[in-house]
Amino acid sequence: MMSTAAGGPASGGISPNNVIVLGAVGGLAGIYLTLLNQNLDTTIFSFMAGIGAILAAVWGADAVRRVCSYGLGTGVPSIGMLALGMGIVAAMFGLSLPESGLIALPAASGPIISFITASIIGLIIGLMANKILKMNIPIMEKSMVEIAGAGCLVMIGLSVVIAGDFRFDEGIVPGVITTGYIALVFIGGAMAILHPFNACLGPDETQYRTLHVAVEKGSLMMVLAGVASLTVIDAVSSALTIVVGLIIFVVYFKKFMADTHHDAYLVTGTGLLPTEEELE
Amino acid sequence: MIDPVTTIFLITLGGVLVGLGVHFIPVGGAPAAMAQATGVGTGTVQLAAGAGLTGLISAGFMYNSLATPAGLTNSNMILVLASGAVGAMIMITVTMFIGQLVYVYGVGVPPVSAKVKKDPITGDVQDIYVSKGTEGHGVPTVSFVSGAIGGLLGGVGGSLIYVQLMNIGGDYTNSGIVALAAIFATGVFYVNSVIASYNIGGTIEGFHDPKFKRVPKAIIACLVASLLCAVIAFPIMGGVS
Repeated sequence: MMSTAAGGPASGGISPNNVIVLGAVGGLAGIYLTLLNQNLDTTIFSFMAGIGAILAAVWGADAVRRVCSYGLGTGVPSIGMLALGMGIVAAMFGLSLPESGLIALPAASGPIISFITASIIGLIIGLMANKILKMNIPIMEKSMVEIAGAGCLVMIGLSVVIAGDFRFDEGIVPGVITTGYIALVFIGGAMAILHPFNACLGPDETQYRTLHVAVEKGSLMMVLAGVASLTVIDAVSSALTIVVGLIIFVVYFKKFMADTHHDAYLVTGTGLLPTEEELE
Repeated sequence: MIDPVTTIFLITLGGVLVGLGVHFIPVGGAPAAMAQATGVGTGTVQLAAGAGLTGLISAGFMYNSLATPAGLTNSNMILVLASGAVGAMIMITVTMFIGQLVYVYGVGVPPVSAKVKKDPITGDVQDIYVSKGTEGHGVPTVSFVSGAIGGLLGGVGGSLIYVQLMNIGGDYTNSGIVALAAIFATGVFYVNSVIASYNIGGTIEGFHDPKFKRVPKAIIACLVASLLCAVIAFPIMGGVS
């Protein structure tokens, strides 16, 4: 097993390309499956976007894991905040563009435009980090594209869970922005991307354990978004989101605990601290 | 009604001010949390975001009480920026002061800088008080003053972005526009503070730190990133109705 302390590329079971496909295709598919809501005149399929957000969070966490293995000097959380800072700008731009009337675009193109915009912003920031700030991390440009793209998909996914619709004026503005849930989506989405590696980093870090934390964090955010959606869409749809999120959370939390026990040399109970009388 | 070039320029300027402000804040990171480096014991982004978001709240409050349907006059805009600056400065100085109390009375270390021999403001001798093997501890006077300047720049920058976005949005009574402007300003704020913290690469004591010489690189990077965000912001804020 390779050390993932500062200074070298991360290694692990699933190859980066597979995670990219899983996150990008899965994330977009989850968001687009909520189109069923509009077509069938219901909100029951909102949970699909939550699953998309979880897949995108896994991708983001894996990209954070790969870039942070080189040692940023500023701690892992900064890159998650950067991801969501870029993600929110790109997501809002992409979702609002088809409805702004500036360019004639099909209404359903919003998430794709957001994703492409996020990738472009990520590429420029990655290039600046290496060329101007001289961070000299070989995978910086690629990782920044990935992290911005994943951040953008997590943002849109969680917003769509709350609003049940990714159209800007009909769904996102009244459901997520005006209600203020956008702040929850912002910080919670950042947590799902930055927390897994921040929690697992060290010489004994392994990819599957980190990614299991990502699924677990993503599903917790899905549950929270489901609770928020109680006030925006109907109770049945939000209950479905909460239940699906809780099931994924329990399954992956158990997997994470099993991984921890598997990776540890020994897991033992120490008992309670001795009382004062016992010490005498 | 609104001149796009001026607005985009002012949003970009706001982003650059945020990036510049981050360089003034004494960031100690994990070493400072163990009283082994000068500054407050947390990361750049957390400190900058804490101060910046407080500034944004105070600026938003001022904006809401001054705005009229005709928009904001220039003197009122300066009041909003000042309000944002004061909010951010209060937040960062309180953080440094309480941290200072913990370092002096809790940990028991003298506030001292390891980067300079004499404090540039008070002229106090520094090097003889630095514990061996550490990079200084606490928040010495020069770092405290520097942090307050950082709060000022960050607060003005964040509120400038917010005010410009609100001007594009137009209707300050529409909570959708207010929320979008606030979250967008937060996004631009985070991008610029992280870029600046990558430029610092860990810890900085303030404007007397040798790392402060790297500022021009961060200004270029923040300029490009903020310009990109500003160009994107224009259609978003104009599109909400």
